[in-house]
Amino acid sequence: MAANILSVGESALAAAQVGLLTTGHNIANANTPGYSRQVVIQGSAGAQDSGFGFVGKGTSVVTVQRVYSDYLASQVTNAQTSQNELNTYYTNIQQINNLFADATSGLSPTLQNFFSSLQGAASDPASSAARQTLLSSSQTMVSQFQSMDSQLREIRDGVNSEINGSITTINGYATQIAQLNDAIEKAQGGDSSKPANDLLDQRDNIVSELSKEIKVNVVKQNDSYNVFIGNGQPLVVANNSFKLVATTSPTDLSRIEVGYQGNNGTVTLAESGLTGGKLGGLFDFRANSLEPAQNALGRVAIALGTTFNAQHELGQDQNGNLGGAFFNVATPVVNASTANTGSGVMSAAISDVNALTTSDYQVQFDGSNYTVTRLSDGAVSTSATLPLTVDGVDFDIASGSVNAGDMFLVRPTANGAANISVAITDPKKVALAAPIRSAATGTNAGSATISAGSIDSTYTAATITPAVTLTYSALTGEFTGFPATLPVTVTDTAGNVSVYPAGSPVAYSSGATINFGGVNVIVSGTPHDGDTFTVGPNTGGTGDNRNALLLGALQAANTMDGSTSNFQSAYAQLINVVGNKTRELQVTSSAQSKLLDDATQAQQSESGVNLDEEAANLIRYQQAYQAAGKVMQTADKLFDVLLSLGVQ
Amino acid sequence: MRISTSTFFDSAAARLGDLQSGLATAQQQISTGRRMLTPADDPVAAARVLEVTQSQSLNTQFTSNRSNARDSLSMEENTLQSVTGLLQDVKTLVVNAGNGVVDDTQRKYLATELTSRFNELLNYANAKDSVGNYMFAGFQVGSQPFVETATGASYLGDQGQRLLQVAPARQMALNDAGDTVFEANKTGNGTFVTAAVAGNTGAGIVSTGSVVNTALLTGDNYSVTFNVAGGVTTYDVTDTTTSTTVSSGNAYTSGQSISFDGLQFDVSGVPANGDQFTVAPSGSQSIFTTLKNLIGVLNSPGTGSTANANLTNGLNTANNNVDNALDNILQTRASIGARLKELDSLDNAGADRDQQYSQTLSTLQDLDYTKAISQLTQQQTILTASQQTFVKITGLSLFNYIGG
Repeated sequence: MAANILSVGESALAAAQVGLLTTGHNIANANTPGYSRQVVIQGSAGAQDSGFGFVGKGTSVVTVQRVYSDYLASQVTNAQTSQNELNTYYTNIQQINNLFADATSGLSPTLQNFFSSLQGAASDPASSAARQTLLSSSQTMVSQFQSMDSQLREIRDGVNSEINGSITTINGYATQIAQLNDAIEKAQGGDSSKPANDLLDQRDNIVSELSKEIKVNVVKQNDSYNVFIGNGQPLVVANNSFKLVATTSPTDLSRIEVGYQGNNGTVTLAESGLTGGKLGGLFDFRANSLEPAQNALGRVAIALGTTFNAQHELGQDQNGNLGGAFFNVATPVVNASTANTGSGVMSAAISDVNALTTSDYQVQFDGSNYTVTRLSDGAVSTSATLPLTVDGVDFDIASGSVNAGDMFLVRPTANGAANISVAITDPKKVALAAPIRSAATGTNAGSATISAGSIDSTYTAATITPAVTLTYSALTGEFTGFPATLPVTVTDTAGNVSVYPAGSPVAYSSGATINFGGVNVIVSGTPHDGDTFTVGPNTGGTGDNRNALLLGALQAANTMDGSTSNFQSAYAQLINVVGNKTRELQVTSSAQSKLLDDATQAQQSESGVNLDEEAANLIRYQQAYQAAGKVMQTADKLFDVLLSLGVQ
Repeated sequence: MRISTSTFFDSAAARLGDLQSGLATAQQQISTGRRMLTPADDPVAAARVLEVTQSQSLNTQFTSNRSNARDSLSMEENTLQSVTGLLQDVKTLVVNAGNGVVDDTQRKYLATELTSRFNELLNYANAKDSVGNYMFAGFQVGSQPFVETATGASYLGDQGQRLLQVAPARQMALNDAGDTVFEANKTGNGTFVTAAVAGNTGAGIVSTGSVVNTALLTGDNYSVTFNVAGGVTTYDVTDTTTSTTVSSGNAYTSGQSISFDGLQFDVSGVPANGDQFTVAPSGSQSIFTTLKNLIGVLNSPGTGSTANANLTNGLNTANNNVDNALDNILQTRASIGARLKELDSLDNAGADRDQQYSQTLSTLQDLDYTKAISQLTQQQTILTASQQTFVKITGLSLFNYIGG
């Protein structure tokens, strides 16, 4: 009997000791990330049938178990994935937001200065100082475009390196999970009644960290976690882990994407499948904010350069020549997919800046039809042959032949801001004058006047060489004297258009626009019989600023977005979009953070260590230990009594 | 409900972090004076600010353009003012020359004075503005517009009008072409011009004439020929354009009006047989030609009734043409005056606009200091309270009471 009391006491002591050790373990790991508090499960050691009843044999420690709720943990993991995705997107778009933050140092002041200096040159076109100022301020504006674009490119490079870093981290976690799977299996040996708590905690923690990088699906198989990512690609299966690699996009060598190294080689994973976590946030940011922002900035540069050049080429510079290109404008970026089997080289040219969008385009050939897809919203245009014009861009095959399945990526405005430059360095080459001028002959008896005239893109110097003299005949009410080989189009004030074949006289209508060979003039008033009007070259017209005025008018003209925006408002649109998205992300990411906080709190309230609680446990197990010691002391005393029997 | 120790510390730290970043933002707003630090703070206002800034910048540019326009037009007005004075002097001179007391020699002195006035006028016509561009040359501001010739001056410029954008929808001409100002002076009375044929031997003096009925005007050239036979003077009117005779054998009375085809003029004095007077539609004559002709008239000597008649006819024509030239100059000055006045009212409108834009910008982007500072104070109070309670609460632990 005494021996039994001793063993009961001993079992109690042992149990109390385990309790103290476990409490000490909890206290020590109170700040360990991912640690779930452990509790000792004690069970009765059973009872012995003693004839009159069952007498208990003490206690035994069944197991040490961690307090862990699968449900709460998965809540936290899900919230973690969403929150980190939004947070990554938010942090990155803030960089763009800050780029546009200071209104005094952005694109807008340089744009205004450029047009101001143009007005200054219009006031005094003969002044070489005014012309030089115009060239300098155009250079400043172009530099600002380039600088903003290079900052966006830096952000892009940053995204690439973050993707690289994320892939490395994911691979590291995958390896660790596989190792832990192995260790847990060995440690538990298939028996889940003796859980390897700390290893389990470690593995759960790594899964949680992994979910910060990418959304994961965990499937339990015996003692192992099988981890799946994306659209079901396995990352960890039992003891094996698979790797992700950084690949370059087949259509853009500067773009890093994620590839999966499976048993059959490397497969590039579609970005749409890789949502959640930092990686999902980076992809979302790049495709939906960064690249459109770069395209939008490029679009402003291309529209400005193209419309300005078009008007500049209708003017005359100080050397008497027709103006050339003022700006060098970027061309669309065309990339053939590295998987193409054909030799086709695609060309893309911008034919209408008014119709340009901020999207990229994908051209595919399926053997019989070409399909042009606008990547921003998926709108599709199909044609059996090229050239095809979509949204102001002409798509065509420049050379070679295209096979079925070939794919091309066309980015019309991507390099717009990076590649814009000023083509003129000589102030004399700025075309501020118009190439023609007109005069009513001084001896005219009538009161008719002729407008100064303007030209359109079909004009050549041959039209007014020699100078054209129009003579009015009161008898017939017609003008003669137009160049013999040019037809004449007359548009009267009511909008009616009449076309006269080359060489025939033209009926006079006061105020009507007369067009021949690219030249437009308006004669109004009452001419007398025999009155003459001349249209000739503007030689020596150094004070002429007609083209400068037309160039200046471009500042406020709606030349973009289907004639609804001017350059400044298109730029303002870009800022609006970025600001709105940043605002939206600010709200959603802080809402998601709150959700994460709540989920974490719930999980922590279940599994987290409370030091006060552990302090109470210390006291409890200490008292249990002391009581158990007392039981053993009592057993000892009883044995002394036995021993003292039979002593005289 | 259980709270784990780490939750307690983590959430408290997170709240303190939030409060501190809110305080930092408020402080930044106050120090920059701007409500929006980045476009995300108010995306709609950010875009609007850009658009208003462009409008304001355009407005400022137009103000500067108007100032340039005002400079050009004022310089032109000054020059034309001097020209007006000069032409008025020429008129006085013409009247002096017509004075019966003045003889050939004195007329030659007048001719000399007129020559120097001619050079002075040429100088005004070739005037340059403040940047060295010729004012009356049209587009060819680098080369002298008027060059003296034997019969007057030839105009080498063009009819170009230099425009400047002075308001969103208004382009104003900065100059007037030289030929319009100095050369487009109508001869005669503006509709027709009368003249005595050079070889007249009589002493008839023809008047400028006027239009009595515009409906009957033909615009043809006419010739009135005088026949003196037997002491009776008659005249025939021939339409030389159609080679028809309008009337013949009309009795002539000195000073009585001769009218036909809607026009009338008179001849006074004693015309000789075969004397002719022409009527032609008005053309344009350059003031320089007028002056040269006048100098020629003053330099031709003569005594006797024929010479006197020629002199009178010449002086009449010159007087008429100088009047027309003066009218033209005054008309140009009136147009310049109208433009200057328009610039003034555009300036007023522009100044109002500028103020409005500034106000809009201020509403969009300036900080309301009162509100901001009271918010800052509130945030400071909350942060201080949080910090103090944090320290107090984390000091409570069971371990403080165990042991010893």
